[in-house]
Amino acid sequence: MNSAALIVCIGNELVADDGVGWVVYERLKESDLPEGVRLVFLGLGGIDLLEEIDGEEVLVVVDGVQLGAAPGTIHQLGWNQLPDASPRPVSGHGIGIREAISVGRKLYPERVPQEIFLVGVEGKCFNQLGMGLTDEVAQAVPKAVAIVLSLVSGTLP
Amino acid sequence: MSKTIKIDPVTRIEGHARILLDCDENGKIEEAFFCVNELRGFERILVGMQAHTLPQVTARICGVCPTAHHLVAAKALDNACGVTIPPAAKLLREYMYMGHVIHSHALSLFVLAGPDLVFGLQGDPAKQNIVGMVHAEPELTKKGLRLRSLGQKINETIGGRGIHPVTAVAGGISFNLSDAQFQRLRELTTETVALAKELSGPIKTLLMRLFEDNPRLLANLNVPSWYVGTVEKGGVLNLYDGQIRAMDESGTIKTEFSADQYIDFLAERTVSTSYAKEVYVDFQGSEHMYRVGSLARLNIVDGLSTPLAQAEFELFRANFGRPCHNAVIQMYAKLIEMLYACERAEQLINDPGLRGENRVPVQFKGGRGVAHIEAPRGTLIHDYEIDEQGIVRAANMIIATQQNTAVINKSLKEGANALMQGAEDEKMLNALEFVVRCYDPCLACATHAIGRMALAVEVRRDGRIIREIRRN
Repeated sequence: MNSAALIVCIGNELVADDGVGWVVYERLKESDLPEGVRLVFLGLGGIDLLEEIDGEEVLVVVDGVQLGAAPGTIHQLGWNQLPDASPRPVSGHGIGIREAISVGRKLYPERVPQEIFLVGVEGKCFNQLGMGLTDEVAQAVPKAVAIVLSLVSGTLP
Repeated sequence: MSKTIKIDPVTRIEGHARILLDCDENGKIEEAFFCVNELRGFERILVGMQAHTLPQVTARICGVCPTAHHLVAAKALDNACGVTIPPAAKLLREYMYMGHVIHSHALSLFVLAGPDLVFGLQGDPAKQNIVGMVHAEPELTKKGLRLRSLGQKINETIGGRGIHPVTAVAGGISFNLSDAQFQRLRELTTETVALAKELSGPIKTLLMRLFEDNPRLLANLNVPSWYVGTVEKGGVLNLYDGQIRAMDESGTIKTEFSADQYIDFLAERTVSTSYAKEVYVDFQGSEHMYRVGSLARLNIVDGLSTPLAQAEFELFRANFGRPCHNAVIQMYAKLIEMLYACERAEQLINDPGLRGENRVPVQFKGGRGVAHIEAPRGTLIHDYEIDEQGIVRAANMIIATQQNTAVINKSLKEGANALMQGAEDEKMLNALEFVVRCYDPCLACATHAIGRMALAVEVRRDGRIIREIRRN
């Protein structure tokens, strides 16, 4: 399963802007991915991410975020810029990419990709079921897809 | 003169879940509220849907316990159609479910509660998390994560997909095990039993140390309540199916009922502090606060049907009595259930009936379909009204965390009262988070977006903030 790049889209397509990872995943599925690029969808990030990584050169994680920017803003963050999850989560929802990768570095160093990016789309609504993306977030999808493709192709836009 | 202390949020999303503490002027906590901001609109999106899609749709509500929703929805559809599924379908569904329980309990024990066990309750929470645990106990964590992964593999193979399973359908399961899958799963399942056996000793040692080191906190988490869980014939634990049993705080079994009678025994109540309704056992005209989940289940059962789990269960009962009211012991109960799930999975994969006819035709006749399952965190009920065209007309769900909310509030109040007087901010936050973690709540089966993770505490008196603490 060793490939050059892995794209992991995270989200809940039933929950408004939390579905942005799913929408990006669907778009990427329809696009021509470069050879050696693997695309997967995860409902939650966290520990499940450890099952997917396999020593790729590049890992790109796509997710809806709440970092305080305007809705639709796309954050392209490197590993060192990833925000921490809460230090002690009280539920399985609270384990983030950063924790998962840190655990991976210690336990399965050979599986951890060399370069890790988060493409985070700033969302507006995260608690309403069954309403689809808000307009601002929907409009950001093509750009998010382009950024993901450029990251796995090794050329920044 | 009273003041309110607000801890907001305890999880990753602001406003997602928080703790409110109402104090009098002497600092005594009068009321505590664990507020879950449920996702809104759930019933609305189900109404009008084609009923046969419910197992897939409801599985997507939650990334933590999708298989519980997936299977209980399929069971409710079986009931709505009035069919009995073939034995092989029931065995396969239960086997898929044991994979899910192994995954979920291993996640709870090793990733969420593990740092409390390894580091105790004192010290710097920024270092005492899963990342710190991996450095302190790499082998233990690696084996725990391996066990979780094996459970997920079982779930994924039978469920068709790991994250959101798709194979359980009204009338059975749309999946046949190939010979290769069968051989592989037998090996993996045997490995789960070996791993669970190997891990239970060290985990128990850590648990006992935590109990001994923190007698005061443990005493404060001793909250009497009623308990609800599921038993099969003979009163033994069954996580997939059976009768719902309710026990009072003295350990007397008060009633047993089937899922379709839940309305007669469980009373839902809306509360101002949360979108989630609180639920009480309604028995002979009075309402009783109760708990569900691993500890509740091991309180209500008479035994377990697998040898390793039964042996550990006997020690549990000899040490902690019936019922055990202490929320911290939930971790021990989880360990016993994890053993059970591995052993039960091994029984199921080796059952000759597993590979038979696994689906019967169904037709919606118009009417209700109600079913329940023991989700990892407690009894989960789905109740649907489906018309003769197979369209959902009404839906109701009772999830584990809302049933535990009343007891969580009581535990927070007692835990906070023991700590508040002169407690440092950080210490108070840690202790209250620990209390919540003991109940292992599933927070609104909800979103996970990255960001806004700071923990904030507001202390208010007469509506005015007099103290604010924020972590990060």
